[in-house]
Amino acid sequence: MRNLFLFLFRFRGVLVFGLLQIISLYLYVTNSSYQRAAFFNSANTYAGMLLARRTQVTDYFHLAEQNQTLLAENANLRQQLFRPDTTGREADSVQIPPDPADSLHRPRYRRPAMRPDTVVLAMQKLAARDPAYPLIPARVINGTLRNVDNYLTLNVGSANGVQAGQGVVASTGVVGRVKVVSEHYATVASILHSKVLVTAKIKRDGTVGSVHWPGDDPTVALLDYIPRQNKVVRGDSIITSGYNSIFPEGLFIGKVESFIKEPDKNFWTVRVRLGVDFTRLTYVYVVRPRAKAERDTLEARTGIKPEGEGKQ
Amino acid sequence: MKELGTVAIQLIRFAIYAVMHVLLISRLVLFDLGWCFFYLGFLLFLPLGTPIVVQLLLSFVMGLTMDIFYDTGGLHAAAAVLLGYLRPWVLRLLTPRDGYDAQDSVNVHQMGWQWFAVYLLLLVLIHHVTFFVLELGSFQHFGQTLGKILTSVVFTSLALLIVQLLFFPVRRGRN
Repeated sequence: MRNLFLFLFRFRGVLVFGLLQIISLYLYVTNSSYQRAAFFNSANTYAGMLLARRTQVTDYFHLAEQNQTLLAENANLRQQLFRPDTTGREADSVQIPPDPADSLHRPRYRRPAMRPDTVVLAMQKLAARDPAYPLIPARVINGTLRNVDNYLTLNVGSANGVQAGQGVVASTGVVGRVKVVSEHYATVASILHSKVLVTAKIKRDGTVGSVHWPGDDPTVALLDYIPRQNKVVRGDSIITSGYNSIFPEGLFIGKVESFIKEPDKNFWTVRVRLGVDFTRLTYVYVVRPRAKAERDTLEARTGIKPEGEGKQ
Repeated sequence: MKELGTVAIQLIRFAIYAVMHVLLISRLVLFDLGWCFFYLGFLLFLPLGTPIVVQLLLSFVMGLTMDIFYDTGGLHAAAAVLLGYLRPWVLRLLTPRDGYDAQDSVNVHQMGWQWFAVYLLLLVLIHHVTFFVLELGSFQHFGQTLGKILTSVVFTSLALLIVQLLFFPVRRGRN
């Protein structure tokens, strides 16, 4: 027994080293799974508080830039509201026949029924006030850009109705997917993450592929699985397909920048310039498509694996 | 009582390095390639006689703290623990002819430029190679990773050298 203790003491350095190294690597490898305890990431309360404080200070240095972005966005929205022709106009109230009891026969007006207000996000109109389809505005308080796996931290959490697995969208395009949620904070695996796949399609002809990030340039992603016989055009819009129940259909992802024929593949390798500029991403929305839970249960019962989870 | 003082001072150093790193330094990126691993200063400038087990535990806790802020699981911790394990080896490798004195510490004024440069560059290089190769998980973007490693080594080393020159006492212990 004494010899055993002597042995352990003599090799304490190697033993402790091995133990800690195994713990670290285990935490690192299991980092992408959803079941992990929410403590060891920036969604935990103390880290979130510190990062929110830091954002309060650094915000002042970006005020001018933020203003520019907001002005541009405003101009864009106004343009969509007041189109030069009358095609897209919607009446905010409609005339209905007068009350039969009213002797003056005054016309009555009513707001159009069941027409929720919309927000234009990623070049797609999304309902803003539909309770079955919540749209949660959030602020990015921390984010990385140049790592192999990049994450963002948002200042909303389960108290605001955010759940793990929901999509995150900015005004300029798709951002990523919520990974871990605490009460007041959430972490997001952005498109710039080696394990995030977004099912996408070419807007022009509807060819479905999947967008992933190769890990080098934060402005460019790759679109895979577009068959050789399909035509690709530079400048084509790439939008979400709505196949996986993370994002609603039709959200803008990016534009085709270039495409090449790989010698030994049956697919085009398409480079997509991302719509979102991750270097100055500040305001985002957490979205989810309708009836996700029901669809997930159905698909799980059929035996279809959830997509977008990543290539394992 | 003296041990208690040392522990208190080291805890304060831990807090200063961690908070400085999270609040200020982690925002700095050089040419999109180089990061400053400022918190390594805490581990590299620990007293020479720190027991190996304490050193490893401190590395692990510091690494895990960074992982929480970077959302990297255990990546920083793994690289930092390796650094903590190899530090005594490097110190042994660099032992002066007559061994370390009792009052010696990792101090550029005290140990000389040559000793300090080899110590710092060797350990920072080991740490960064481990970190970036682990992060990548493969050897795909080899050139870019090499660029990241070299730029970060230069950035981290310069930052830690500046810390030494500004905050460490000029006291000629030897010669």
